Amino acid sequence: MSDEVIRSAESFGVALEMKSVSKQFVGTLAVDNVDFNVKAGEVHALIGENGAGKSTLMKMIAGSFDDYSGDIYINKKKIDLHTPAHAKKNGIEMIYQELSLAMPLSIAENVLIGRLPKKGLFLDREQIVNETKRCLEMVGLDHLDPMLQIEEISQHEGQLVEIAKALGNNPHILVMDEPTSALSREEVERLFSIIHNLKKSGLAIVYISHHLPEIFEVADRVTVLRDGKKIGTKGINEVTSGELVQMMVGKSVTEFYSHTSHTKKNKRLGVEELSRYGFFHNVSFSAYEGEILGICGLSGAGRSELARVLVGLDEKDSGKVFLDNKEIILKNMGQAVANGIIYLTENRNIEGLALRLDVKENILAGLIPELIKKGIYQEGEGIDKVNELIEELSIYPPDPSRIVGNLSGGNQQKVLLAKWMACEPRVMILDEPTRGVDIGAKMTIHQSIERLSGEGNTVILISSDLPELVSLSSRVLIMRKGKIIKEMAKEECTEESVLLAANGEGL
Amino acid sequence: MENTKLGETTQEIKQIDTRATSVNIIGKVIHYAGIYAVALLFLLAGIILQSFGIINNFLTTQNMMNILDAVSMLGIVAVGMAFVTYSGHFADLSVPTTMALTGIIAVHMLQYGFLPAIIAAVMAGLLIGLINAVAVGKYKANPIIWTLAVNYVTLGVIRLVWVNKQIYPDMIAKTQRASDLFDSIYRLRFFNKIALPLVILIVLTFVLNFVMKRTKFGMQLKMTGSAQKAARFSGINTERIIGMAFIICALTATLAGLTITSLSRVGAWYNGTGYDFKAVTSIVIGGMTLAGGRGTIIGVLGGVLIIGLMNNIMTLLGVGTFSQDMIRGLIFILVVGINAKSLRSMGRDDA
Repeated sequence: MSDEVIRSAESFGVALEMKSVSKQFVGTLAVDNVDFNVKAGEVHALIGENGAGKSTLMKMIAGSFDDYSGDIYINKKKIDLHTPAHAKKNGIEMIYQELSLAMPLSIAENVLIGRLPKKGLFLDREQIVNETKRCLEMVGLDHLDPMLQIEEISQHEGQLVEIAKALGNNPHILVMDEPTSALSREEVERLFSIIHNLKKSGLAIVYISHHLPEIFEVADRVTVLRDGKKIGTKGINEVTSGELVQMMVGKSVTEFYSHTSHTKKNKRLGVEELSRYGFFHNVSFSAYEGEILGICGLSGAGRSELARVLVGLDEKDSGKVFLDNKEIILKNMGQAVANGIIYLTENRNIEGLALRLDVKENILAGLIPELIKKGIYQEGEGIDKVNELIEELSIYPPDPSRIVGNLSGGNQQKVLLAKWMACEPRVMILDEPTRGVDIGAKMTIHQSIERLSGEGNTVILISSDLPELVSLSSRVLIMRKGKIIKEMAKEECTEESVLLAANGEGL
Repeated sequence: MENTKLGETTQEIKQIDTRATSVNIIGKVIHYAGIYAVALLFLLAGIILQSFGIINNFLTTQNMMNILDAVSMLGIVAVGMAFVTYSGHFADLSVPTTMALTGIIAVHMLQYGFLPAIIAAVMAGLLIGLINAVAVGKYKANPIIWTLAVNYVTLGVIRLVWVNKQIYPDMIAKTQRASDLFDSIYRLRFFNKIALPLVILIVLTFVLNFVMKRTKFGMQLKMTGSAQKAARFSGINTERIIGMAFIICALTATLAGLTITSLSRVGAWYNGTGYDFKAVTSIVIGGMTLAGGRGTIIGVLGGVLIIGLMNNIMTLLGVGTFSQDMIRGLIFILVVGINAKSLRSMGRDDA
C-alpha cells in the first residue's frame, strides 16, 4: 500500500503550501512561524496537545482570519485566504468535529445547500435527487434515500453525509478535524477506506487528531505542533508512537512543577460499580484523605460525566457512592456542597462564573446559605474570606468589586477556584483546573491544590494537561470509553506512559 | 485560545482597568439616581408646560394624588413581575388574565362573604403561579411562549365558565357588608387622602426590595438571573428559585386583580388587559435589564412613577388613548435600545 501511495503522491504536485505563517491573539502567538504543506493524493496528519495551535492553523486554512502573516500557496499560486468564501472558491472544504448539518432538513437539502438546482422558478426535484445520489456514492451511501431527514439517519451516516456535502463542491483540499470522535470501530474502518479512495483520486487531505493509532492507519506524513510552533514533520514510516508523544509533550514545562509525595491514610470517597448508561460503566475506585487522585482520558472518555454524577448534577443509573464509609445519595449539587463535595467545572464561562457579577459575589455564591443570619444576608461576614482568597491566589486586580467578565482568563479561573475554596470542601473534583491560563496562574493554582491536599482534603484532578497530571497526582486512573482501564502508581506515571495508556496502548 | 502562555497580558489588564472603573462610576449614577432624576425631569416638564399655560391643574395636590392612584395598580403588578425579569425570564404575560380571573372569582365567591372571596382569589392566583413555576422552572418552558399560552387558556376558562357574562359584586353579594368591603378595596382612604392600593404598593415595594437584596432567596435569585448554569453548578436549586419568582408575580397580580375589579365594580374577562406590556415597560424604564440579575425594586417603582407622570401629562395635553399606547411602545423600544448599547460600550455583555 505504501508504495502505491508514494507514487501517487509524487505524480501530483503540492496542493497547499503554507510558508512561515503566524497568527497572533492578544498577548499570545497561537501559531508561530509554521511551514506546512500537503501534496495532492496524500493524507497529512496534524497532531498536538490542546492549545498547541492545531485548530488555529485549521481555521487559517478555512479562511477564518484576515490578519495572519506569512504566505499561503494553492497549486503554486499565492492566495489570500481572508474569508471562508475565499477558501471555498479555492477548493478547500472543511469537515468539523461536530456535525454541522441541519437536522430537520433532508439529506439532499443539506448536501446541496446553497446550490439547489432549479427549473425556472421551481426546484428541479429530479436533478436534486440525481446530484445528491452522485455525492452520496462517493462515500458509499448510495443506498440512502436523498429525501430522508438527517434526524432519521445514524450519526455515523451523518458524518459521511457531511463528507459527501464537502465533496459535492469538488474540492481539491479536504480538512478533517477529529472526524472519528463520534464513530465506532467498524465505522472508523469504513471512513478510512473512503479516505483511502479519496486519496487515490488525488485529493489532498489534512487530518487533525490526537488519537495516535488512527494516524498510523490513515496518514502518510505527520506534523507535530507544540505551543504554536512546528516541532517537526515526519513520514509515517519513520516514527513510532513513542517518538510522536515525546514530540507532542516536550520537556520544557516539567521543571515548573514541584513534587510532593502522598501517603494513603483513611478512605474518604468510595465509588462502587457506578454507571450512567451511555457515558460510563461500572466505575469503581477509592480516594483517600490528603490524596491527589488524577484521572486521565481522551475527550469523550466519560471523565466529566463521572464527576457530574459524583456531585449530583446528573443521576446515576446504578452503583453506590460512599463518603467516609457511609453511603450518600445526592439529588442535586446543593446536597453535595452541604456534604463537602464540590465540582470545579471545565466550562468556566457558562457553568462556572456569573461573568456580569463581581469577584466578591462570585466567590460567595456557594456560601449564600451560610451567610444568612436571622433571615438576612450578611455580605460583610464573607468579605474577610474573600480578601484572604484574593491574596492567597493573587487575583489581579485585588479588588473584590471588579466585574469578573473584565478579568483575564487566568484570574477568572482563580476566582472560580476561590469560590470552591471558600466552601471549605473535603472532596474537591477539579475538572481542567488550569485550562487556558498562563503559566504564572497555573503555578499559583497548583500551589493551592497542593496546600489543600496537604491539609487532608481529597482532590480528584481531571486534566488533559499531562505534565500537570503526572506531577501533581499520587495515582492516576486511566479512563477510556467510559471505563477505568488502568490505575497507575506515581512511579509508573510519565507523560508518555499516561498518554499511551489513554490511547489504549501499552497495557 | 487555550493554554495562553507566559506573560499573558499586561497590556490587556491595563485596558481592563479603565473599563472597569468607568462601569463603576457611570453604572452607579445610572442605577441609583437615574430613574428618579428622569422622574424629576418629567415633573419639571409638567411644571413648565403649566407655567406657559399649555396644561392646567398639573401641580396640584389633587392631581399628584391622581397620578399616584393611577399608577398604584400598575406598580403592584410591576414590582411582582420584576422578580421574573430579575430571574432572567423576561416577563410573565399571563398577568392580564390572572388579574381578570382572580377578580371574577372573588366576585363570584362574594355570595359566601368577603373573606371566602379573597381566599378563593388568592388560591386561584397561586394556582396559576404554581403552573408557571413548574413549567418554566422545572420543565424549562420558554417563559414568553408559555405564559402567553397560559394567558389565553385562562381567558378561555373565564369566558367558558361565566359564559361571556360580566358579574357585579353588589348583585352577587348576599350582605351589604360584603359588597361594601369589596368596594372599599380600591376606595378605602387613610386620612381621607391616601388610598389603600397606594399603601399596598409602598409596603410591597419595601418588603420586596428587602427580599430581593437581603435574603437568601434574593441572593440566589441574583446569581440565577445573572448566570443560570453557574448558579446551578454552585449548588443553588435554580428550579425552585425561578418558580418562586413566578409565584410572587402571580400573587401580586392577584392583589392588582382584586383592586381593579373593586375599582370597576364588575368581574369581567377584560379586567387587566394591557397590564402585561405596561408592567414590562416600567420594569425596563426602572433600570431592570431584560438579561436578568440587574436592577432594584426601588428602581422599578421609579419606572412606574415615570409612566404615571407621562400618562398624566399626555392626558392633560389631550393626547388620545391610541396615541398614548403608541408613544409608550416607542419609549419602550428606545429604552431597551439605549440600555443595551450603553452596557455593550461599557464592556458588559448584553441587554
